[in-house]
Amino acid sequence: MPGLFKQRRAEPARQAPRGVTLIIVGTLSAAVAFLGVVQIRSQAEVVRSLEGQDNTSLAFLIDDLHRANDALGDQAGELTARRDQLRLSGTAGADPVLQDEGQRLRVLEGLVPVHGPGLVMTIDAPLTRLDLEDAVNNLRASGAEQMAINDHRVITGTVFRQDGSAVAIDGDAARGPWTIVVIGNQDRLAIGADLMVQSLRSDRRVRQAAYRMEPDLVIRATVSERPFVYGSP
Amino acid sequence: MIASLRTLDRRRVASYSLIALAALLVGFGSAAQLRSQLVTPYNRVERNRALVRSVQDLERTNGVERGRIAALRREIAGLEGDAARRSDQTAELAREIANLRAHAGITPLKGPGVTVEIGNGRPSPDGQIGYLATYQDVQDVVNLLFTGGAEGIAVNGRRITPLSAYRGRAGTVEIDDGPPLMAPFRIAAVGNQGQMEQLLSDVGNLGDLHHRQREFGVQLSFGRSPELRLPAYDGSLQAANAQPL
Repeated sequence: MPGLFKQRRAEPARQAPRGVTLIIVGTLSAAVAFLGVVQIRSQAEVVRSLEGQDNTSLAFLIDDLHRANDALGDQAGELTARRDQLRLSGTAGADPVLQDEGQRLRVLEGLVPVHGPGLVMTIDAPLTRLDLEDAVNNLRASGAEQMAINDHRVITGTVFRQDGSAVAIDGDAARGPWTIVVIGNQDRLAIGADLMVQSLRSDRRVRQAAYRMEPDLVIRATVSERPFVYGSP
Repeated sequence: MIASLRTLDRRRVASYSLIALAALLVGFGSAAQLRSQLVTPYNRVERNRALVRSVQDLERTNGVERGRIAALRREIAGLEGDAARRSDQTAELAREIANLRAHAGITPLKGPGVTVEIGNGRPSPDGQIGYLATYQDVQDVVNLLFTGGAEGIAVNGRRITPLSAYRGRAGTVEIDDGPPLMAPFRIAAVGNQGQMEQLLSDVGNLGDLHHRQREFGVQLSFGRSPELRLPAYDGSLQAANAQPL
């Protein structure tokens, strides 16, 4: 065995030239170090991909959530006040609270005429059912509380159907030019309306698109109440 | 002889070690250089983590507030019920309010209906998803279901109200004050099953979604249920600027 050992020790003399070996060793060591870096970097990538969307999307999401939480806080405050009022007033005082609640719900469901600050948007274009549905959603997302299109009251759930060149709004045919009356927070509405008008003006179908703010708009059109046929609360 | 070989080996080992050390230094030097180039991405990662933490905190607050609102609504309904038991006039008012609340989506709704599912596009062999479902896909389906006579709709458990609005970025949908919902989206609608199914089966409807189904493998399916249970809306439902005439 010692002979074998000796032979093995002597073996390098017959192997590749020393310079080549040195290059190999050097290259391998550098590769090890470099792989360490790559590993660090790939871990960072994994963290990035695991932790989700890009910062801009996250910033928008944070903005939305802040606004949502503020609205939820306001709603909780309003409900707390209503609950306290009911607790304090007892049976005799419940009726006015219920009447107020009824009127508030009728406004939300588009069942009664309303007034308030907002904007009027005019669009001269052959808009389709989908265009109108998108417009309603964009305005709603910009804070529209109540709206009417060409004197038809519109809520989420209003049915738009394409009827040739016209659009039937809850069964009533309507066609352009379109006038959308919106009641809501004017500051928020203006942001949404600016973007909408900008987008509409870049559409070749659109001959004219504009909006104006009004301090007190009136919407007289109402939605018909639909009784439940299939659903039960 | 052995001694000279050992000397030679020692020298060789020492030179290999030196080379290895030098190479390691070069490698780590590259690492340091690369790390310094990665400063921005790392900062971005940290910023991203901070933003993700903010989102998570806000979502927790959102859930707590929605729970508080749901509890307050239940409490108010209880107090109104107590008052209604003591007066016929109040009972009549309470019935009217209950009906209005049901139509506004503030109370649960049950009944027969259909459920539509929308999923992201199928991943390609390289793992990339060609299309992430958007809020407009959800909006189109909800609007079609209303056209088919839906009396109440919920998307991934979030009830649609007369003031509902959809927004979001690819792959997520935000409805009203709720947290972002992720695909797959399950849209449950109580109402006339036959009419809703007929509209969903008509290839003339949901043109964009059918196109994405063909192009990107977006998943779109629907089925009927004898009884669906839609939860009550647990968000804010206020109109601070619109006042009755």
